[in-house]
Amino acid sequence: MSNNDDSPSMALIVRKDLGLSAGKMAVQCAHAAVSCTMASRKTNSRLMERWQNGGARKICLRIDDLQSLQRLAGQAQAAGLITHIVKDAGHTEVEPGTITVLGIGPAPRRSIDALTSQLKPY
Amino acid sequence: MGLRSIIHKMTAPSHYGESPSGPVKLVLIINNGLKMGKGKIAAQAGHASVKATLKAGEKAPLILQAWLSSGQKKVCLKGDDADQLLSFEKQAKEAGLLTSKIHDAGHTQIPSGSLTVLAIGPCQDELVEKITGSLKLL
Repeated sequence: MSNNDDSPSMALIVRKDLGLSAGKMAVQCAHAAVSCTMASRKTNSRLMERWQNGGARKICLRIDDLQSLQRLAGQAQAAGLITHIVKDAGHTEVEPGTITVLGIGPAPRRSIDALTSQLKPY
Repeated sequence: MGLRSIIHKMTAPSHYGESPSGPVKLVLIINNGLKMGKGKIAAQAGHASVKATLKAGEKAPLILQAWLSSGQKKVCLKGDDADQLLSFEKQAKEAGLLTSKIHDAGHTQIPSGSLTVLAIGPCQDELVEKITGSLKLL
């Protein structure tokens, strides 16, 4: 994997303090993935295609709480990366408007790793 | 209805091209027999949703538009194994619905090539519920 270190990747960063169920978490991550994809199709379609053709790499990471998530979102935006914050409609499990997942990318893997290296996989 | 739209209606290739007349959703059926971790399931669901979205963009742009603008409703259901997912795929295709399958590259957790998720839709709620109504939420 080291030879294609900079192939595009996407990180889905989930708040672990919410204790979401597997299904809920999957849906929220899927939401982030779709929104980031649509955003990248508009702003950087070449990168998006490269990401899709390279297997559309995605990684699911966990983060402590809302504050950390928002801080990371700010850093990613400052680095010029595509981000999407998922706010749940609150039909189930959490209060309406709860921020659940941050999606970053597709972006060069190195840029994502630089921001998320301290986070553990979910 | 004007003559133009009548002609369009008669000659349109299939119902893919029409606006949906009710709420639309995307259904994700997870292969629960694989015993994947939560993060793994989430990433696989992400793959399936993106694939389904891009496919709908080509084949059913109006449905995709309705789905995106109504909050991208998604439901995650529990499937037993690959065979069951394939049989749902067949039924969905017969009903004229869009489907996307995800096979895992197998870098982590499960054998390479495993069928992890089947996505059906986005499509009108009742069309997919006819097929997947018996499945439980994950």
